[in-house]
Amino acid sequence: MSLRLEGVAKRYGSVVAVDGVSLELPPATTLALLGPSGCGKSTLLRLIAGLEAPDAGTVALDGVDLAATPPAKRRFGMVFQDYALFPYLDVAGNVAFGLVEARVPAQRRAARVADLLELVGLAGFERRKVDELSGGQRQRVALARALAPEPRLLLLDEPLSNLDAKLREALKFELRGILAGLPTGAVYVTHDQGEAFTVADRVALMREGRIVQVGEGEELIARPANAWAARFLGHDNVFEGAEARRLPLGTDAALLRADLTRLVDLQAGAIAATVTGAVREGLEWRLSLAVPAWGVTVAWRGFERELLPEPPAPGRRYGLQVPAAAWQALEGDA
Amino acid sequence: MRRSPTSHLAGALATLFLATFLGVPLVIILARSLAPGADEPFGAGFLAALTDPYYLGRVGFTLAQALLSTVLTVALGFPTALLLARYRFRGKRALTAAFTVPFVMPTVVAGIGFLALVGPRGVLGVDLRNTLALVLLAHVFYNFAVVARMVSGFLEGVAPRLEGAAATLGATPWRVMLRVTLPLAAPATLAAALLVFLFCFTSFGVVLILAPAPTFATLEVEVYRLSARLLDLDAAAALAVLQLALLLVVGFVYTRLQERMAVSVAPGDATRRPRGPERLLIVGVLIVTGALVLGPLGALVVRSLGAPNGAWPSARNYASLLAPASTVGFTGLWNALRNSLLFAGASATLALTVGFLFSHAIVRGKWRWLDQASLLPLVVSPVTLAFGYLLTYPLLIGSPWGVPIAHALLAFPFVTRTLLPAYRSQPPVLAAAAATLGAGPIRTLWRVDLPLLRPAFLTAAAFAFAVSLGEFGATLLLVRPEFATLPVAIFDRLGRPGAANYGSALALAVVLMALTAIVMLLLQRRGRSEF
Repeated sequence: MSLRLEGVAKRYGSVVAVDGVSLELPPATTLALLGPSGCGKSTLLRLIAGLEAPDAGTVALDGVDLAATPPAKRRFGMVFQDYALFPYLDVAGNVAFGLVEARVPAQRRAARVADLLELVGLAGFERRKVDELSGGQRQRVALARALAPEPRLLLLDEPLSNLDAKLREALKFELRGILAGLPTGAVYVTHDQGEAFTVADRVALMREGRIVQVGEGEELIARPANAWAARFLGHDNVFEGAEARRLPLGTDAALLRADLTRLVDLQAGAIAATVTGAVREGLEWRLSLAVPAWGVTVAWRGFERELLPEPPAPGRRYGLQVPAAAWQALEGDA
Repeated sequence: MRRSPTSHLAGALATLFLATFLGVPLVIILARSLAPGADEPFGAGFLAALTDPYYLGRVGFTLAQALLSTVLTVALGFPTALLLARYRFRGKRALTAAFTVPFVMPTVVAGIGFLALVGPRGVLGVDLRNTLALVLLAHVFYNFAVVARMVSGFLEGVAPRLEGAAATLGATPWRVMLRVTLPLAAPATLAAALLVFLFCFTSFGVVLILAPAPTFATLEVEVYRLSARLLDLDAAAALAVLQLALLLVVGFVYTRLQERMAVSVAPGDATRRPRGPERLLIVGVLIVTGALVLGPLGALVVRSLGAPNGAWPSARNYASLLAPASTVGFTGLWNALRNSLLFAGASATLALTVGFLFSHAIVRGKWRWLDQASLLPLVVSPVTLAFGYLLTYPLLIGSPWGVPIAHALLAFPFVTRTLLPAYRSQPPVLAAAAATLGAGPIRTLWRVDLPLLRPAFLTAAAFAFAVSLGEFGATLLLVRPEFATLPVAIFDRLGRPGAANYGSALALAVVLMALTAIVMLLLQRRGRSEF
């Protein structure tokens, strides 16, 4: 089952939500649609589900155009941001909802519900009311419900965004395991790059209705398509214009991957850097380093072991070791 | 969101129903008022009615009594609303529940209650029948709850907090009242006042029972008299149109105000316990409202237990209900009860069905203009509606269907104001979820929309049932003797001479009161509707 989008576009009044998106999802892979809020990623997901009709372009599964197929006939499972559980049904009723529509006989229905609850770690929860469940449990029910009718594709719309940080961390890995074990492909919408990289095989970076870059996580981190992508993926040191031209690469835009650099004592082969600001963020230190040789300030994060013997303070001088691979030329921000 | 195709079918059906049983009759009345006969010039009947000093007097009286009633109701209801919004005290729930009693009590019950209290041979020994004072008192009794509940409901969530904020900014209690409380309460109070004005303007049963003298006839009573008694349909049509025009203006302003009020209220209870003199204030309000509510209804029960020969207590009046009818054309207890229940059941079913189609079209299909039309039946008075049927569908009068259809339309605004907000608050994502799970539009309706609406349906059903049970004006005009409902049977007995008839009217009114109270209890238990 491979999904293919071609030139898909959707506008609401004068607002262009999705602007000519083409994408391909190979069978049994998970693709994350990653982008800031309002970039059109949720709209794109609703277009795939058939909950919205595109103004232009096609959505096709295995070469079959789905334009004339209403959502109820697409057999795409969807997990919604706020779970969208039916409050008047218990857990089993929710999970079985799609099975009833598919006219699965009651006995097989019960067995399938039990299997799925087992899969999501809620075995024995059949008769619970959904308003008695915690956020994480609701999320699991929503996932089981979407998987129950054996969908041809699974769509997840920010499934973890309503959970607290700790739970999100734990569920993220669990979700990765479940999705990896599925025979179907999945499209996973999120604004959190950590989630995207953990859960998905491939990540599509989206901005203002367009796809900026598609690739595996490693690829995106190592070679962001442009300055915006680099910043959004969490790189702190993106330089543009006059600043960038003073740097060793001399290009109009450049990325310094601080995660590949080391702070050492001043020595040969290291660039002199002076601390101008130091903030402890939990276990990590975040430093601002003035680098006179380049005429820029570099943001640096790291653990205390690199900063010993004493905690860093403004005025302290270090040597910054920069391997060649830490420099990336970038396209300027579009 | 793709629009559901079922919504268009629903919208079409709802429109068809409203057009047939509301639109067309009103147009026929309008046509009749403008061109009564072929030989008369266009608009002659209308002009004749408008220049007749007697009819002009009726217009003046109707306006004046509605205005006076509204002012009195607000004067009493507003302070009560402030107390309810600000304080928490024992018996508050019981008090708010008691407020609703008069509002849902059938006019006939309230009317007879006031007769039992301050009518001929009344409990208090003064006879106020055929005085303006009694009409006003009954109107206050009826609508007091509208003001108290609408205004306090609006203020409850927000006023105490804002008042606290104003106090920290240096405002003294009087300044807080002037600069915070009154401006906050103004739109809700005005909306409530308009609603009260609407109800009093079309007052029918109260006037017919408490002040039958011609000088107290409202337009509604006059339309009834002209169409049912004097058979002057041209003049009736002219007056009905005049009344409708005035009501539409008020109704329009009311809906605009309601839209503004919709931007309200943070949930949460910011009330506090009363201190010192505030307690006296609350006790005072409890006594006044308690007397107002319990007076007439209590008097009704007391007098119903008095035998025609003066003995008390006695079950003679109730026994007479069970005795075989001694007069031709009298509707017995069981017949009236059966008719009332059947009509109420049929009209509630009809009102709920149409109300659901209507809400479905608005919420799922974005039928905007239908939304605007939902309050229309509220400004159409019962007698006018029935009169329209009389002119448009004479066959309906002979059949048992005229009454339930009219009742369904009269209950319609209540039903939609209950169903619509509930439907609107349904997260659309649930329908989307159902679609991704394989449910088509009709299956989604069945498995998502309807189950979610269940509580609202129960509330709306109780409303519709109560409206039909108590409805008087339209029924009086439409019903044939063999289909007489409880209110009509009561009114019939009231109109006949003799203490025995009066006694059995009292007993029958107690039965109707009990029946309404049962429906009300069911209603109280469920959620609230948006008014």
